[in-house]
Amino acid sequence: MSDSNTASAEPAILKAWDDYAAACQALFERFSDPKGDRGGAMPPAFFGAFKDFAKNLGMPSELSGASHPKPEQMLAGFLPALGCTREYQEIVKRMLDLAAEFQRCCAEFMEQGSDIGRQAMEAMRQSAQEEGVLSSTAAYYDAWIDKAEQAYAQAAHGEPFAVRLAQLCNVMSAFKVERGKLLEALARQLDWPSRAEVDSLHRQVRELSLAARPTKPTTRKPRKARVK
Amino acid sequence: MTAAADLFARFLQDTDAMRERGQAALRALRGLGEVRVGTSEKTRVYAEHKVQLYRYAPLARSARLPPLLICYAMVNRPYMLDLQPDRSLIRELLFLGIDVYLIDWGYPDGADRFTPLDEYICGYLGRCVEFILEQNGIRALNLLGVCQGGTMSLCYTALEPERIANLITMVSPVDFKTPENLLSKWAQHIDVDLLTQSGNVSGEFLNLVYLALMPFRLTQQKYVNLVQMQGDRAQLENFMRMEKWIFDSPDQPARAFREFLQWFYQENRLVRDALTLDARPVRLKSVTCPVLNIYAANDHLVPPSASIPLGAHVGSADYEALQVDVGHIGMYVSGKARKSVPANIARWLGERNPLR
Repeated sequence: MSDSNTASAEPAILKAWDDYAAACQALFERFSDPKGDRGGAMPPAFFGAFKDFAKNLGMPSELSGASHPKPEQMLAGFLPALGCTREYQEIVKRMLDLAAEFQRCCAEFMEQGSDIGRQAMEAMRQSAQEEGVLSSTAAYYDAWIDKAEQAYAQAAHGEPFAVRLAQLCNVMSAFKVERGKLLEALARQLDWPSRAEVDSLHRQVRELSLAARPTKPTTRKPRKARVK
Repeated sequence: MTAAADLFARFLQDTDAMRERGQAALRALRGLGEVRVGTSEKTRVYAEHKVQLYRYAPLARSARLPPLLICYAMVNRPYMLDLQPDRSLIRELLFLGIDVYLIDWGYPDGADRFTPLDEYICGYLGRCVEFILEQNGIRALNLLGVCQGGTMSLCYTALEPERIANLITMVSPVDFKTPENLLSKWAQHIDVDLLTQSGNVSGEFLNLVYLALMPFRLTQQKYVNLVQMQGDRAQLENFMRMEKWIFDSPDQPARAFREFLQWFYQENRLVRDALTLDARPVRLKSVTCPVLNIYAANDHLVPPSASIPLGAHVGSADYEALQVDVGHIGMYVSGKARKSVPANIARWLGERNPLR
């Protein structure tokens, strides 16, 4: 086997390793030089190696987001969470998914808002044609508010509005639940009182207070109210 | 001059005038300082956890009626009923010789997240009633439930009818699924379990929901109108008191809020006779005492259609409805309500006085 054949047949994983080592070296040299440009861009080899690696596995290789504007698409092709941090990876992934879902719901909701604005403007135009010029700027403003509220009320009472609003609320709630799990884990790591611990204490206090509650409230002697 | 040019010239004039008024309003606002609310004299007579029971100092000779316990909503602060001396339902009632008690639910926090709704109704409210009965040596009192507090008062009266001499509900929802009820429409698709899974529901969240009911009026026009006040100190103080109350919304205890939303807004259990509290069925037909139902004709939070059906559901033969031509908040502070509501309450209670 000739040398040239060996070079061309070099496995992708070895090439990636060489690139990675070279990139590390470049980065090390940059940080070792006190006058060096520490804020410069990351050596392309880091991404080059990842791109080859990802491509071979059929994973998304472009991390910049330029070719995948939606985060859920960026994440869709990745491997499932693995290793000892698996549970945390899962939480973070769910949070990213929910953040993307929230963006989508928000966009839909805002689109609805622009429809309301258009309807209100149309109502203003019609009313100007029918009623003529109003007496003051304030009158125009009040008329605009009236029309806008009318258009809004019409939309807000509709089923699609209620569904979109609820979607926003539900996604936000789900995000808060996931965030709570991360904070819970962090609190455990730092030996801080965690939410679960405090909840457990509250439950115990409640059970105790129910058990200890007198059948009647504390009584005092009847007191006559006096006129001031 | 063309019509368009004329209009533009007027616009410029109005804008100048508006800027001057705005500056005056801002100057006056800066000098206002902290506004005071809840000005009538009161004494705390009973307390349990965050719940406080107050008794107001009398301002007139007693009308010799049973004490009136006011049960306000948990979603807002009760000082709205005693906002300032000249805008106070409580003060008007005191001037009419009524002995007024008020429940303040406080500001729930994480310690309250597992407290169920029946603990608030049968527990805290029930113990406040018991306390007043014992303190006054009587067997039944008059109960005035306001907004959500009215719904809670109805539930309590249905469960403990012998303790309530007369029941007054004010801007209180009863049928939660009527076509005009925007809050109810929005609540139908909310995953309430998920909403409350991560703890109490914040007051800020509730504020946003309320603002979303009429966003253009409540987030824009209201502040433009503030400029029109031209620095009038009294008007600005009134405005700031309202502003304080509107955004001073307590967090809602997770479990109680979840149950209220699910059982009332989503499942409409109260009018379906399907509600159970403290392992006891809540039947509106069990409300047999005289009932006065006061509702606001222009209520955007609790539309009249949500309150009016009460008459058809209670078991009382003595039912009266009073419509006031105001909005939800106007019921507490407007001049129109101030003229008719306290006097009607006093008249109605006087005609049904069990102590006479």
